[in-house]
Amino acid sequence: MSKQPKSLHRRRFLNTSLAAVGTGIALPTIIPSSALGLDGAVPPSERIVVGGIGIGNRGTYDLGCFLEQKDVQFAAVCDAKEARRVAVKKIADDKYGNQNCKMYRDFRELLDRSDIDAVLIATGPNWHCTASMYAAKAGKDIYCEKPCTKNVAQSLILKDTIRRTGRVFQAGTQRRNLPHFAFACELARTGKLGKLTRVYAHPAGMQAMTSGWLAPEPEPDKNVVDWNMYLGPAAWRPFNPKLLDGFNFEKGGGLVGGGVLEWGSHCVDLCQWAVNDVLPPVEYNAPKDGQLVARYADGVELVFRETGWIPLGSCPVRFEGANGWVEAGDSGKLVLSSPELLAGRTVAEIDGYPATFHVRDFLDCVKSRSQPKGNAEAACNAHIACHAANIALYLNRQVKFDPVTNEFVGDEHANRLRSEALREPWRL
Amino acid sequence: MQLKLTNRTIVFLFAFFCGLGTGVLRAADNAADSTQREKELIAVLRSDAPAAEKALACKHLAVHGSSAAVADLAPLLSNEQLASWARIPLEVIPGPAADEALRKAIDNLNGNLLVGAINSIGVRRDAAAVGALAARLKHEDVEVASASAVALGRIGNDAASGALRAALKTADAKVRSAVAEGCVLCAEQRLLGGRQAEAADIYDEVRKSDVPKQRVLEAMRGAILARGKDGVELLVEQLRSRDKLLFQIALGTAREMAGDQIDKALADELPKAKPERAALLIAAMADRKETVQLPAILKAAADGDKAVRMAALQALGRVGNASCLAALLEVATQEDADLAQAAKGALTDLTGDAVNQEIIARLAKPDGKSYPVLLQLVGSRRVAAESALIKALDHADKNIRSAALVSLGATVSADKLPVLIGQVVSPKNAADSAVAQKALKEACVRMPDRDACADLLSAAMAKAPAGTKPVLLEILGAVGGGNALKSIAASAKSNDPQLQDTGSRLLGEWMTIDAAPVLLDLAKTAPGEKYQVRALRGYLRIARQFVMADAQRAEMCEKALDAARNSTEQKLVVEILKRYPSVDTLKVAVKAAQIQEVKEEAVQAATVIAQKLTTKSDAVRELIEKIGVAKVKLEIVKAEYGAGSTLKDVTAIVKKNAGDSLLIALDSPSFNTSFGDPTPGVTKQLKIQFKVNGKSGEAAFNENELILLPMPK
Repeated sequence: MSKQPKSLHRRRFLNTSLAAVGTGIALPTIIPSSALGLDGAVPPSERIVVGGIGIGNRGTYDLGCFLEQKDVQFAAVCDAKEARRVAVKKIADDKYGNQNCKMYRDFRELLDRSDIDAVLIATGPNWHCTASMYAAKAGKDIYCEKPCTKNVAQSLILKDTIRRTGRVFQAGTQRRNLPHFAFACELARTGKLGKLTRVYAHPAGMQAMTSGWLAPEPEPDKNVVDWNMYLGPAAWRPFNPKLLDGFNFEKGGGLVGGGVLEWGSHCVDLCQWAVNDVLPPVEYNAPKDGQLVARYADGVELVFRETGWIPLGSCPVRFEGANGWVEAGDSGKLVLSSPELLAGRTVAEIDGYPATFHVRDFLDCVKSRSQPKGNAEAACNAHIACHAANIALYLNRQVKFDPVTNEFVGDEHANRLRSEALREPWRL
Repeated sequence: MQLKLTNRTIVFLFAFFCGLGTGVLRAADNAADSTQREKELIAVLRSDAPAAEKALACKHLAVHGSSAAVADLAPLLSNEQLASWARIPLEVIPGPAADEALRKAIDNLNGNLLVGAINSIGVRRDAAAVGALAARLKHEDVEVASASAVALGRIGNDAASGALRAALKTADAKVRSAVAEGCVLCAEQRLLGGRQAEAADIYDEVRKSDVPKQRVLEAMRGAILARGKDGVELLVEQLRSRDKLLFQIALGTAREMAGDQIDKALADELPKAKPERAALLIAAMADRKETVQLPAILKAAADGDKAVRMAALQALGRVGNASCLAALLEVATQEDADLAQAAKGALTDLTGDAVNQEIIARLAKPDGKSYPVLLQLVGSRRVAAESALIKALDHADKNIRSAALVSLGATVSADKLPVLIGQVVSPKNAADSAVAQKALKEACVRMPDRDACADLLSAAMAKAPAGTKPVLLEILGAVGGGNALKSIAASAKSNDPQLQDTGSRLLGEWMTIDAAPVLLDLAKTAPGEKYQVRALRGYLRIARQFVMADAQRAEMCEKALDAARNSTEQKLVVEILKRYPSVDTLKVAVKAAQIQEVKEEAVQAATVIAQKLTTKSDAVRELIEKIGVAKVKLEIVKAEYGAGSTLKDVTAIVKKNAGDSLLIALDSPSFNTSFGDPTPGVTKQLKIQFKVNGKSGEAAFNENELILLPMPK
C-alpha cells in the first residue's frame, strides 16, 4: 500500500479548478448543491450509500476522502479483522453522531444489502479483483484500490464484467485526477511533444515476488481474524501472523509481482494515458541495466527504469517526443524541455497525491453513469502491461503479446502465466 | 513412496523459500529444460515432502507441467490443503488429460472442493462436461448448483445454453441468479458471434424471469444492444421508467450504442424529463461527441431549471463549437455568478479555430458587457490578439486593464515582452502592479529563448526602482537558464542586502546542476556568513538530490568537505556519501575519516558503502582496511561454504580469521583456497551466522566477496 498522502481540502482544488480545466480535469458533471442554493446540504434520498470492504491503512485514508463528500453516507464496513471493523465503525459513527455503521466479517452479507449503492474495496491486492467481481454482480459501483488484478486474465474479466453488469468502476489510480499529471499526459496525448517516442515509468523494485507458506501457528478465533476469509482466493496455507499485513499472496499472478505491479499500476497507468489509452505494448524485453523496455504496436517504447529521474518525488513519469519532453512526480511539479510547452497555462501544483478528486470523480460518475478517469478498461490495459512486463522479468527474456487475442505469441510458458486458479469456492 | 530429491531440486525449491516470508524470484525458462523440471516437480509430489514443498511444486507445474503431471495432480483435488494448489496447473496444462481429471473428480468430491473443480472446468470451457454440469444444476448444495450454472455459461455452447434456459424456469430460487448469470454469458457469446436474434431472445427471457434485479439490469442492457437500431424503443422505455435503476442502466447503455438515432432519442426525451433526470441525460448526450444534438443542449442552457442549465453549460464546453459562442457569451455576462462562471468555463473549452476568429472579430467591436469576458478568453484560450490586449491597457476601467494584463501574460510573444516589462518597471497605474508582475512571470517562463528573456529582465533590473528589483530577480529565478544564473549570482554578491537574500535563496532552489560551481563559489565568497551557509546547503542539495555520475558526485562531496566550516556541515557531506555507494564516494569517506570531528560518522559511512557495493574490488578492500572499521564484540556462530545441500562447515576457519571488527580477512582472497572447494564448477556462497555485541545476525557472500558483516538490526 502507498503511504498516506497529505490531506488536502477540497476548496484548495476548487480554487485551482480554472487552471485544471485546461489540464484534462473536467469540472464536476454533477452540479454541487451549493450552487443550487442548498447550502451544501444533500437530501438523504440523493446520497450515495457506501460500504467499505477491507479497510486498513490505505482504506482509512480513502474512507476519509469519501467522508469529506456531503453526498456520501457510509453505512457498513466489512473486514476479516475485528480490530479494523471496530476502528472503521468508530470513524463513521463519530462522523455521523450515531451508531449506525454495521460491521460484517463476510463481504457477501454487506453486498446483499439493497440500500448500499457503492463499495470501497481496499483489501490486500489478493482480494481486489475477486471482491470487485462479486460487488459488480451484486449491483454495486466500485472504487477499488490498486493493483486491481493479479494477472492478465483477471484484468480482462474485470473489464468485461464491469461492462456487462453496467457498473461504474474506479481503480485507485488517483494521479489521473491530479492536474500536473493530467497536463503531462495531455502534452503527450495531443502531440504537443511531437511524435511520441518513449514513455517512462518508475517500477521502484523490479523483482518477481512470492509470499511464503510459513510454519503454522495457532489460528485465532475467526471473530478476531477470519483466516479463511483473509486467505480468500489465494491458494491455501496455514495461519501465520507474519502473513497478515504486507503480504499479498502472489499479487502478480502467483510467480510474479513486486514493484512493477505495485507502482506500475500508477505510473504505467499514466504512461497508458499519455499514449491515449491504447492497447498495451506488444513486446517486452528482459531487464537490462535497471531498465525493462516494452514497445507499443506503433513503435513507442514504454521504459520501466529504476534510476535517472529528476528529483520530483515518488511515482515519476517522463514522456518524450520528437519535439520535447515532460517529467512529473508526486511533488506536484513538472519539468518541461521547453517553457513553451506551458503555452501560458498555470498548472496547479498539488503534492502528496491526494485521492479526494479521484473519489469525487467516481461519485459524479455513480450519478451520471459516465466513465471515471480510472475506469475498468483503462485500468485493464495498464495492468496487463505490468503483468506482461513481470512475465518477461520472471522468464528473463523477451515476450511478445497480442493485445487483440490477449495471448503471448507462440509462447506457452508466458501464456500459462496469464491466469491462476482461485481457491474454492471463489470464482470470477 | 519416498523419492530422493536431487540437489538441483532442492536448490530450485530453496529459491522459493528463501527468507521466512516473501521470496524474490527470477527464473530463466529454458524450453528444453521443462521436461526435466517437470520430472523433478513430479518427484516432489510423489515424495513425502512437506505440504509446503508440494504446494510450490504445483505452482511451478503451471509453467513446466504437461499431461504427464496430471495423474499426480489429480489426487490432490480431494486434499483440503493442496486442492487449490493442484488446480493452478490443472487449469492451464493443455490437452484432454487435465479436462478428464477434473471431470472425474467432480463425481467424487463434495462441498467447496467440488465447487473448486467445477470452477476450473468453467475456466477451461470443457464442452465435454456440459452434461455433468447440467445435471448438477439441481444439486442440493446451492453453491455447487450455482458454480455449475456459471461454468455452463462460460462454456456457452448450444447444449450449455439450452440447459441454462430450461433451468431459468425450473431452478431453485436460490440458484436462479447464477443460472441467469450463465444465460447472460451465453447471450453475450452469441452477440459477439453475430447471432443477435438468439442473443436477444436469451436476454429477454432473463429480464422477464423472476431473478434478482441486477440480473434483470444486465439482461436489459444486453437486450437493447442485441437489437441494434431497433433497440432504441426499448432504450427510451427505460429512460422513461420510474425505476431509477432501469433509468441508470439505460444511461450507461446509451453511451455504448452507435448511431445518431440514439442522440435524437436522447434529445427528444430531454424536454420531457424532470430536472434531475434532464441533467443526467445531458451528461449522456455530451459523452457522444461525434453525433451529439447541440441545439437541444443549447436550448437547455438558455433558460429553465438552474441545475439543468449548469449541466448544459458544462456539456457545451466539452462538445460545443463556434455556433455556441453567442449563447454562451450571453450567459457569461449574466448576474448569476454560478451560471456566468460555468459559461466562461465552457467558452474556454470550446474547440476549434473558428471560435478564436469569432472572438477576435467581436473584440474589434466590443460591447461593454462582453468586453472583459472576451479579453479573458484571449488569455484562457491562448488567442493571438496582442494588439487588442495592448490597446486595452489604456482603458479607464481597472477590470478591463487587469483582464488584458492577465491575457498578455498568457499570450504575449517575445517581441512584445518589453510591453509587459514596462508595465512592471513603470506602471501607468500603480493599482495594476500586482497583476502586471504576475502576468510578466507567466509570460517569461514560457519564452522559447530563456537566455534572451533573462537578458531583457537583467537589463530592466538595472534601471528598475529598488523595490521592483527583487520582483524581477524572482522572475529570473523562474525563467532559469545560464544567463539567469549569472545574473542571479551577481545579485547574490552585490551590495544590496535584499538582492543578496533573494539571490542566494533562488540559487539554493535551482533545478539544474550548473548552479553547483556558482553555489560553491558563493559558499566561500558571499557577503556574509548567513549567505555562505545557505549557499553550501544549496550546493549539498544538488549533490544529494540530482542525477549525476558517481565520480561527479564524489568530487562535489570532496569540494564540499573542503569548503565546510564546521562538523555539522561535514556530517551532511558524509550522509550524502553514505546514500550513494560507489568506489568514488568510498574514497571521499575514507578522506573524511581523517577529520577527527567526523571520524566516527565517516567510518560508519565507509562501512555502509562497502557493504552495499556489489563488486568488492581490491581497491575497496584496501580502502576499507585503510580506515579500519569500528570495533565490535564479534562471535562467529556458524559458517558454511558451498551450494545447494552440499555445504562445508568452515566455522573454525572463519572464527580463526575473525577479529574485533565486522571485516573478516581470510588468508587468501580466494574462498576456494581458504576453505577448499566442496562443489567444483558450481557457483557457491559463504553463509555466516554470527553475533555482534550480543545481537544475532546472518549474512551470505558470493565467492571471493569482501567479508564485511552487516550490523544486526
